[in-house]
Amino acid sequence: MTAQSFGDSLKNKFGDKLLEVEAAGVDQLYVRIVPECLVEVADYLYNDEGCRFVINSGTDRREHNGKFLITHFFAQDEENLYIAVHAEVDGNDPRIDSITPVVPAANWSEREARDMVGVAPEGHPDPRRLVLADDWPEDLYPLRTDVEHGIKPESCPDVAMPLVEPPEGASVVPIGPYFPVLEEPAYFRIFVEGETVVGADYRGFYNHRGVEKLGCSVLTYNQIPFMAERICGICGFVHSCSYCQAVERAAGIEVPERAEYVRTIMLEVERVQSHLLWLGIAGHIIGFDTVLMQTWRMREPLMWLCERITGNRKTYGMNLIGGVRRDITADVHGDITDVLAKIEKEWRALYDAIPGDPTLMARLKGTGELPEEKARELAVAGPTARGSGVAIDVRVDHPYAAYDRLDVKKCVYDSCDNVARVLVRLDETLDAIDIIRQALDDMPDGPIMAEIGEEIPAGLEAMSAVEAPRGEVFHWVLTGEENRPERWRVRAPTYANLQAVPTMVTGDALADVPIDVGSFDPCFSCTERMEVTDLKSGIIRVYTQDEVLALRQSK
Amino acid sequence: MLSKLKEAILCFAAGIVTLRYPFAPHDPEGEEGEFRGYPEVDVNRCIGCGGCAAVCPARAIMIEDIDQTTRRITRLRERCIYCGRCAEVCPQDAITMTKQFELASDKVREDLEHVCEVFMATCKRCGRCYEPASPLDKIMEPGYRHDEIKRGGQEPLYEPVEASSE
Repeated sequence: MTAQSFGDSLKNKFGDKLLEVEAAGVDQLYVRIVPECLVEVADYLYNDEGCRFVINSGTDRREHNGKFLITHFFAQDEENLYIAVHAEVDGNDPRIDSITPVVPAANWSEREARDMVGVAPEGHPDPRRLVLADDWPEDLYPLRTDVEHGIKPESCPDVAMPLVEPPEGASVVPIGPYFPVLEEPAYFRIFVEGETVVGADYRGFYNHRGVEKLGCSVLTYNQIPFMAERICGICGFVHSCSYCQAVERAAGIEVPERAEYVRTIMLEVERVQSHLLWLGIAGHIIGFDTVLMQTWRMREPLMWLCERITGNRKTYGMNLIGGVRRDITADVHGDITDVLAKIEKEWRALYDAIPGDPTLMARLKGTGELPEEKARELAVAGPTARGSGVAIDVRVDHPYAAYDRLDVKKCVYDSCDNVARVLVRLDETLDAIDIIRQALDDMPDGPIMAEIGEEIPAGLEAMSAVEAPRGEVFHWVLTGEENRPERWRVRAPTYANLQAVPTMVTGDALADVPIDVGSFDPCFSCTERMEVTDLKSGIIRVYTQDEVLALRQSK
Repeated sequence: MLSKLKEAILCFAAGIVTLRYPFAPHDPEGEEGEFRGYPEVDVNRCIGCGGCAAVCPARAIMIEDIDQTTRRITRLRERCIYCGRCAEVCPQDAITMTKQFELASDKVREDLEHVCEVFMATCKRCGRCYEPASPLDKIMEPGYRHDEIKRGGQEPLYEPVEASSE
């Protein structure tokens, strides 16, 4: 089904409630609806059409038409279709019906839209703050256009986040605000009965950096890729690539084929190094440091290779609107092939060793369970979804760059536990190596940067998704005046995956919590593109580390 | 026990994989790579067009016209992300990405800040600085030839010519 025919079927179903239906190409559909029927449309898309909720976005358009634009993004993975549902709400009384009761995955993003632009989701089951600091002023919404980008309100020390009450009889073990194994800020409150976890609550966004605000108020189109790349420290290329693709699509810029291949190769190189890094961390989390040392050793030649190709080990600085800045020339082909051959050989040894290793299996098997239906409900992405039998992969479902010309496999396992997520990544790494080889062979000659003549007009929009090592990265760009986007929305895969933590840890032993969280390769900095102060509060009984140790020893 | 032995052999087989750095120097140039280090500016080539400031993603380059004929370009290189965009757009090839990466300092601001002042022409209409169309036009500008303008702390390009006493 193309975007056009899907749009027509929506028109037949909803009639006058759809104000505007516009198909962009065959795979993107934009509809503008009457805000009152948002829940109805979301319900239809999610429950009847089987669409996956991606993210929502709030845009302050009061300068244009006095309204706030709330956009919900859905994906129909089987039909290669992304759907944006725009609803405009009154600028003086910004409220919209919450779709979380029908689409549970919308929980966080609706709260984020309330925090950032102040459009309150009515009927939201958990209307606590999500992104902003607890002591951030009530009526100051950072993403509104009348708020300066460098604003620093005074801090106020006595405000605390309202906590979720643990179930009757359960105790609370706080982990954080610095998550001990990943050295990143996140605050989990784990509810336990004895050793068994019965639930969890999460407070994050301690590291909100205001990336979207900067992109929409200070930087220009070609400066943003470099900042987008810094959204994530491990897989930055996916963000700059996705952003550039969105702008190119909005402005109708044709990217030269060779540039698409270069992007594809770099994306896959990044996947290999990210999975190697992740496997090391996973080993470290469960106390098997030999895995950490060995995988990171294996990864090192790849990092040197990246420096050779791009000039840097990480944050390659390759992408610009219209193409890439550096070519992969014939004289590095040999290096790439050598490094890949070495990694493949060592990876295969690891591949054979892991499923047979009793230590690893004892820790991974049956822990961190995320049943398929829950995975679909929470719209998790990437290896986390594929480990739960949800066969989604942007490279296959919504091909971008040069993936439509290459042979890409979906690696799916259905045991729904930590083992499955490890195996998915093991397979994917070999697959990625294969894709790099294919791309190197097929790469056509030609320019690597498109000629861009005139300025990018305002008011155009486009969506773009890229399969990051952790899952689907989604960018939406609405072009604006002054050579910068009016709104740039980013969704990193961890944003969806983190919401699955309470499900994954429930029923496990407390000691398995770090690997459960680690198993979806969380990237807190990706999720937190904006800024928050840290406030910890424990009203309920809180154990210290010594108490936990004493309890464990007395058992 | 056997698996532990295997593990040990695996680790030994790899040999020494770390670099001797900092006990032995590390030279990214030796990699024949495209490594981007400290951006070196040839102040004598700079014409003050401001292209580098316009593209810098880190907004590390600031342009300020301190009077009608002098443009001050301040590079806060503690902010630099070494992307090399400035070198890419410079019409004069005044900026080169060097291989220098040892930039640790206890006075980052002073050591990594770089200021240069460029002589500009003055617009007859608005009185602001602009880059004249040709070098000849620039020479004709009053104040150019006997400039004692600081060029990044270096000696002036041309010594003022002393009038001969004969």
